[in-house]
Amino acid sequence: MIMVVDPIGAAIGSPDPSDPLLRPNPTSVPRTESMSRPTDEQVPTGESEESLGDRGAFALLEYREGRTHAFEAFVREATPLLWHTVRAQGVDREQADDLVQTVWVALVRNATTIKEPHAVLKWLLITAKRASWEAVRRHRDEARRRTELPDDTDEGIPELPSSAPSPEAEVLGNERDRGLWQAMARLPERCQKLLRLVSLADRPDYKAISAATGMPVGSIGSTRGRCLAKLRDIIDDQGESWETP
Amino acid sequence: MGNTMNAEFTHSPDEPLDEVDVALLADLARIADEIDPVPAGLVDRSLFAITLAGLEAEVMELEYVQAPAMSVRGDAPPVEARTITFTSESVTVMISLSPADGGLVRIDGWAAPATALRVELHRPGSVSEASSDDDGRFAFDAVERGPASLVVRRADGSGGAVSTPVIEL
Repeated sequence: MIMVVDPIGAAIGSPDPSDPLLRPNPTSVPRTESMSRPTDEQVPTGESEESLGDRGAFALLEYREGRTHAFEAFVREATPLLWHTVRAQGVDREQADDLVQTVWVALVRNATTIKEPHAVLKWLLITAKRASWEAVRRHRDEARRRTELPDDTDEGIPELPSSAPSPEAEVLGNERDRGLWQAMARLPERCQKLLRLVSLADRPDYKAISAATGMPVGSIGSTRGRCLAKLRDIIDDQGESWETP
Repeated sequence: MGNTMNAEFTHSPDEPLDEVDVALLADLARIADEIDPVPAGLVDRSLFAITLAGLEAEVMELEYVQAPAMSVRGDAPPVEARTITFTSESVTVMISLSPADGGLVRIDGWAAPATALRVELHRPGSVSEASSDDDGRFAFDAVERGPASLVVRRADGSGGAVSTPVIEL
């Protein structure tokens, strides 16, 4: 498998999987289904309610104990976020399907070595991005090799995806949606990234957002507020209503 | 249109999320899904891939697909003849899918370098096995549709197992 570079070393500290001290500590694992939060470190999310990061942490701890129900629910909930993260790196749909699967497989293979369950969403996003960059780079190399062979007209090679997500607003049937998408496109890049991420997950934790956008954790709350305020100003400026009909 | 980027905010960035913000975020998510929908079945394929992770097989890369609509997955049209190539460092596996009677799928496979192989076809809840000939050819004549993954080992037991990513038959 070429695509998933284990990001634990860079992102979370590099535990030795064979080290028994790094095995999950059973006392930190919630014992009852009704318990909605893991008992270990809480990351400030800026929100009072449970975040996707919290649910991911709980899911991972449950998975380590052989209970897969919460984990399946987490896969369901976080897959769209992973999909759009991979696609935003310029990976075509066919390969993005593989990459998302591969990222999940990498997570369960590393399930016992992730020291900090609250970093699980961040881990997923970093893993997805690195796997995507690797996939895009390989496709470019392959395309370059192919163009050096003028006789090779194999039509089975997928076209190179563009490196940026295109704002294909024309596929949107609804005028209001087109207006909103165009307004998004006028935001600074960091705002677009942040809002896309925040919108795709029900409260991703700030650590994960920070890992995905490069913004410091401390500034995410205020940046989100600024980006949404700008978005609403642009919508006003476009002379459209943002009110939900 | 004016340059609102440098304009004063008329909406305050300091207020907590109000219902308009929440509705905007929901709209953005919905639009993202409309423009680039998450493929049907991706969650199920991921869950199945997770259960296969216990096999400790090296996952191969999907190399490329030759199909009328260039798709092997949930957004694929009804099955027609499709050829899919998977690669890993040690082996390349090519499979052709074609319709079989009763809405089933026939899989003809070929592995290189040519050698005798044991091939397992994993589907949620079932595993079937086939052996290749010495040229690395194998077949499953009638397989139910749905998510599936092939796990390939050398018949002589040397080397590790490789598995394909989960595809939709």
